[in-house]
Amino acid sequence: MTVDIIKNENEAVILVAGRIDTATAPDFENAVNAVLQAFDNVIFDFKDLDYISSAGLRVMLRSQKSINAKFGTLKVINANETVAEIFEVTGFSSIIDIE
Amino acid sequence: MPEKSIREMNWLERGHYALATKTFRATIIGAIGLGLVAFVIGLGLYAFALGGQYVGTAFNLSRTAKGVLALKSYVDLEPLCSDVYAKYKSLSEEELAKNDTPEYEAIFSEFKDRDDYKKALDTLTYFKQTSDVYDIYLAVYDFDRGCLVYIVDPEDDESFTCYPGYFEYANAKEFNDMISWTEGDKRPYQIENTEKYGWLATSGLPLKNQYGEVYALVLSDVSLSQVGRGMRVFTLQFSLAMFVVVNLVAVFMTLHMKKHLVKPLNDISDAAQNYIKDRRDGRRDATHFSDLHISTGDELENLALIMADMETDLSDYENYLTRVTAEKERVGTELALATRIQADMLPNTFPAFPDRSDIDVYAVMEPAKEVGGDFYDYFLVDEDHLALVIADVSGKGIPAALFMMESKILVSNFAKQGLSPKEVLRQVNLQICDHNKEEMFVTVWLGILDLTSGKMVCANAGHEYPVLKSTKGDFELVKDKHGFVIGGLDCVRYTEYELELEKGAKIFVYTDGVPEATNEIQQLFGTERMLDALNDARDGTPKEIIQSVLWAVDVFVGDAPQFDDMTMLCVHYIGKEEGDDLANSKILTVDAVPDNIEKVTDFVNDELSALDCPLKIQMQIDVAIDELFSNIAHYAYNPDTGPATVMVDIEKDPLAVVITFVDQGRPYDPLKKEDPDVTLSADEREVGGLGIFLVKKTMDDVKYEYKDGKNILTIKKNI
Repeated sequence: MTVDIIKNENEAVILVAGRIDTATAPDFENAVNAVLQAFDNVIFDFKDLDYISSAGLRVMLRSQKSINAKFGTLKVINANETVAEIFEVTGFSSIIDIE
Repeated sequence: MPEKSIREMNWLERGHYALATKTFRATIIGAIGLGLVAFVIGLGLYAFALGGQYVGTAFNLSRTAKGVLALKSYVDLEPLCSDVYAKYKSLSEEELAKNDTPEYEAIFSEFKDRDDYKKALDTLTYFKQTSDVYDIYLAVYDFDRGCLVYIVDPEDDESFTCYPGYFEYANAKEFNDMISWTEGDKRPYQIENTEKYGWLATSGLPLKNQYGEVYALVLSDVSLSQVGRGMRVFTLQFSLAMFVVVNLVAVFMTLHMKKHLVKPLNDISDAAQNYIKDRRDGRRDATHFSDLHISTGDELENLALIMADMETDLSDYENYLTRVTAEKERVGTELALATRIQADMLPNTFPAFPDRSDIDVYAVMEPAKEVGGDFYDYFLVDEDHLALVIADVSGKGIPAALFMMESKILVSNFAKQGLSPKEVLRQVNLQICDHNKEEMFVTVWLGILDLTSGKMVCANAGHEYPVLKSTKGDFELVKDKHGFVIGGLDCVRYTEYELELEKGAKIFVYTDGVPEATNEIQQLFGTERMLDALNDARDGTPKEIIQSVLWAVDVFVGDAPQFDDMTMLCVHYIGKEEGDDLANSKILTVDAVPDNIEKVTDFVNDELSALDCPLKIQMQIDVAIDELFSNIAHYAYNPDTGPATVMVDIEKDPLAVVITFVDQGRPYDPLKKEDPDVTLSADEREVGGLGIFLVKKTMDDVKYEYKDGKNILTIKKNI
């Protein structure tokens, strides 16, 4: 898994490639937490993400809660079919703004 | 001897039997005995001396009187004596019978008026009055009739007067001595107890005329009543003196005894008593005997010294014993530990391969001593090859156990490198010979079974014949070719042979402790009995088969002690189900740690890659593996770790993949967990419970089972 962060004026884009699973979730969380401290508006670009496991979903949930607390916005874009389905079945699609 | 022991006596009885009392009694009895003897002797001597003195008195008086009466100038008494004796002789028996009657006295009355009679009477009366003599008189002895015929007898009492001619019967011998007495002879005398006069000592001397003829005897009687009185006085005085002396001696002896015998003895017995008491109280360094200072110089001192030596020796010996016992206990503890370590060296969890249905393995090792030299081993060289090892190290105990450890590790290391059995044995032999200074050796049978084909390649380094059971047949010995034992020669090469195992075949290997188990009458159990026991359970599981042999040996041996280790290994080659060939289970066993998730994922993806599996499905399966395996890694053995096995099976019609996760951790059914409420808002949602929910949502079937101490979770995904 690799994480790239593109910092714009008032939003950050987090580009994730590979897999977010039990092994990589902690790295993913660290990267996300660093972004969340500096930005209120975050975009997750999952176009190169193969899949996300429940460990990754936990990071997404914590991120959403954190953004909600400071009234920012969180958006997921370019999720593939597998990832989209995971968001769907776990009900995350109703919590997180997925385009 | 007392009737009861000294421990049962009260103080009074003890006093009765005490040494001092015994001494006192013995002294008194001894002294009294001695005194009695002395008394008898003293009394006899006294009586003899006094008697002699009285006899002397009588003799001297007679002698004096004789001297006086024999003086011619005084008076010649011969005529008087002759006349009286002649008159007496002239009497008839009838007249003589009137002796001691006035009538008889009258016959001799004429003599009383003669001057010579009167003169003699005066003289004798004078002697009698001036001495202690009882009587002094003149008489003639008549040898014909044995009578003493009185001539002149002065008397102060009428009743005792003996007038001339009066006679008394008397013993001739003494009077003969008196008549024949001459100067220089022994004093003649007689002592007799007369009815008339009591005890009398009589001594007499002859009166002779100018021709030397005896015409009369001068006789003196001395009363011995004085002697009796003297003896009574002597007895009284002697008794008094003896009583005092005996008591003094007894007291002295008792005191002496107490000081020199009883006190040291009591000291020794007190020391012994204190010694015993101390030992009962657990004190061991007491010096009761060594502290005794008995210097009597006799056997008692010797006894005290011996007891002191004994005390020291006993104390030394006890200290030694304590040390040795402590050492023994330490060795015992270490041996017990060694036994555990050894037992843990061998694979001993059964079923040995819970996730495999094609083989069943069971083995036991029963060491005769705490640790033994036998071992068995089994392990998968790879997915399709099962290695079986049975071995017996020469000797017993710790050395054998150490040697066994090395042998076991070497065999398994070389076998796991994929070497063939003969090569494994050759390498192990080389390694062991390299440093086998103790010249120990080990017999090894090694077989590597191809689980797909049932072919088993074996090599035997001097071990017992293996036993093989074909699917439908009996257990039979395989008389294989033995190589030399391992550790004997470094240049040995081993040959190997191949056994074809049908599905359902069983192989049984063992160490010589089984056929060589011995009963009380020194009979060996033998391979025949072993084969019988095997065949009794031939259709059973390996566990049942081995237990049958164990039971048979147990019954056979009875109470006889087991001298050799007994080790057995049995494998049931079940083989794969028909048609399974297409859908072989693929198995991976790894430690249940998060780092192994990738390994498991790769393993499963390898299988999936052959199936043209769509990427999406593969992703979903990968997510499921991640969720389930991380669950096991985090929770099953927490905080420890343990093995987890993942099996992949491919099903056809419809094509599906079945993945089974097996762990031996704490029982946990993840399916019971309530699904998260997916309708809640982000702030209301919990972070947990998503993983298993995700699996349930993406997989076509999820099943959980807890069986034989294992969590078994199976997921199925149609492709």
